[in-house]
Amino acid sequence: MGKIVMSDNVQKRRGFIFPPYILLLFPAVSFMLLVYAYPFVSSVLKSFINKEGALSLDNYFKAWDLYLKDILFTFSITVFNTIASGIVAILLAVYFRLHESPISRFLLNLYRLPIFIPFVVVAQMMNSFLAPHGLLNVALAQLRLIDLNNPLQLFNFIGLSFGFIWKLAPFTILIIYGGFQMIDNSYIEAGRSAGAKWFKLITRILIPMNKPSIMVALVLIYSQIVGTFTLPYMLIGGKIPTTITVDIAHRVNYFRDFGVANALGVFSYILVFVTAIYYLKTKVKEVK
Amino acid sequence: MKRAIFILLALVLISAGVFAGGQGEAKKVKLIYMTAGDVNMLALGQNVFGPEFEKKYPNISLVTIHTGPGNAGSQRIYEKILAESKSNKEEWDVDVAMVHQIFMKWAMEKDLLLKFAKDLDTWKYVTSPFAKKALGVDIEGYAMPMFHSQTALAYNPKYVKNPPKSYKELEEWVKKNPGKFGYNGIKGGMSGVSFTVGWVYAKTGKYQKYAVTGPFEQSEVNSWEGVFKDLKEFNKYVTFTAGNVGTLDALNRGEIWMGPVWVDMFFTFMNEGKMDPNTKLILPEPGMPGQPMYFVIPKKAAHADAAKKFVEFATSPEIQAKDIVERFNWYPGIDGSYLKDYIPKEVYNKIYRDVTPKDLAKKGLAFPLADYFSAILESYEKWVK
Repeated sequence: MGKIVMSDNVQKRRGFIFPPYILLLFPAVSFMLLVYAYPFVSSVLKSFINKEGALSLDNYFKAWDLYLKDILFTFSITVFNTIASGIVAILLAVYFRLHESPISRFLLNLYRLPIFIPFVVVAQMMNSFLAPHGLLNVALAQLRLIDLNNPLQLFNFIGLSFGFIWKLAPFTILIIYGGFQMIDNSYIEAGRSAGAKWFKLITRILIPMNKPSIMVALVLIYSQIVGTFTLPYMLIGGKIPTTITVDIAHRVNYFRDFGVANALGVFSYILVFVTAIYYLKTKVKEVK
Repeated sequence: MKRAIFILLALVLISAGVFAGGQGEAKKVKLIYMTAGDVNMLALGQNVFGPEFEKKYPNISLVTIHTGPGNAGSQRIYEKILAESKSNKEEWDVDVAMVHQIFMKWAMEKDLLLKFAKDLDTWKYVTSPFAKKALGVDIEGYAMPMFHSQTALAYNPKYVKNPPKSYKELEEWVKKNPGKFGYNGIKGGMSGVSFTVGWVYAKTGKYQKYAVTGPFEQSEVNSWEGVFKDLKEFNKYVTFTAGNVGTLDALNRGEIWMGPVWVDMFFTFMNEGKMDPNTKLILPEPGMPGQPMYFVIPKKAAHADAAKKFVEFATSPEIQAKDIVERFNWYPGIDGSYLKDYIPKEVYNKIYRDVTPKDLAKKGLAFPLADYFSAILESYEKWVK
């Protein structure tokens, strides 16, 4: 039986003709190649070409020398905010999943708002909200929690993180809550009747059963944070350290130095590379 | 009978006139005007120049295209014109453009521009040295300055009774008032860049060499370590603001008491009620840089004659007074003394109140030659980290 199948396969392979339905892939694949693959490959290649047009590592030395601090800063901002948004999102998604009340239903409708607000608008909002004499500090001063002469300084890691979490947690909730809804109530009820409390329900049932969608959500916001320009530019653009994206804009705008800009780009590719592979793997698994 | 013939003749003439008019309509020139700069440059082209120019020249219509702020905006214009020059077309799309200084260096190197400025009636009003050289590059005749924007220190007289009159005094001042001077570094916008360039001029005393005569020497750059170490020390006493607008906002909210600003943005904020009208300006010794923006006409512009008319229109004393100074709060591209008749006295006095034309002539400096400019920015990144 097995033999017959095998020879059948071999025959198929020998007589391989380009199947016409491959043509259907042509528009999509050529679009991907032209719009994504080509710029990606060319930016990597050009990062190895120095100002004289020769092959060298000059751009990398310069990027390393001037921007190492910024690369590390970008990495820590990204990791911290991915985890923080993840935690906030899981907690809220759990709340929406396990609690049915008018308040939770209201919040369920409200939380999506930031998804539709572009980063540049968020940046402008945060700019006036977090400023030393901005809305937040003035409100806190009115409550006599702080002295306005010595306000909270938030144009830094903390303020930037606040902006990122505000903008990205809702998107994460959207995906994770969707995953939670797929989990049948009977599992939760079974857990409850066995005496599991909130915490156990989350860590033993909800998170493990929803791991793929949580990971996908985290991967997506991780790469979004690495690539965001406007928020860091408008909050901490002039400071040291700042993010890679601000440095790239600086190299291009002031020096027309695409070499170093590309090298910095490659560093950000490396930052997202690991997560991108993970994402692809899970997607491939899903398809299988 | 005679009368009837006369009427008939009149009718023929009128209808001929109408048809001729109609033909003229068909030949209406579309003048393509590409502008770099902030959104206000788009507003200027679309809402101000466009309608006013068309009123004067009904058969030319102005199409304004906006590319974006800063050098990046000029870069896009440069790339467009460069591409056209490589296409071997006889007529290029862009008829006239509004660009930054750095554009002049790029475009002159590739010989992309028409030498037109001296053909203009308004050339005689131009006295600014910026019309002769941009970042050390000889540009006389190839560019017509539309306006000049200047940076200066803005301060709140409520807290600052005796503002520091020089960079040196400022260094002392920030130590006494830590956190009360704010600027936006070099990556957060040009007002911070301008402050930093002024710092280098002040510390080295070599404005002439760096910005006017040259030449570029690496040994100069190597000698700046101390200059930037001092700036690093200075930065310890400074608040970093979120961009050009961030500095103005911080001043207005009282977070900082002093900071470098673009004068035009400062007055615009004031006119819009976003800035305490008591806030003042000062140009510290030895001065701070400013920059013009220029009209240029590409070498093979399809409608070069119409473009010249447009530039002439925009640099006429009347338009310079009404639009450039009164409406947009820039310093004029042509000599300010020609504007006195066209401008209400209080506007003239407001704009020259703190920083007088004499101050401007003496302390309104240029940005350095392109190579020194890059070196200053890069040295900042190298030493102040």
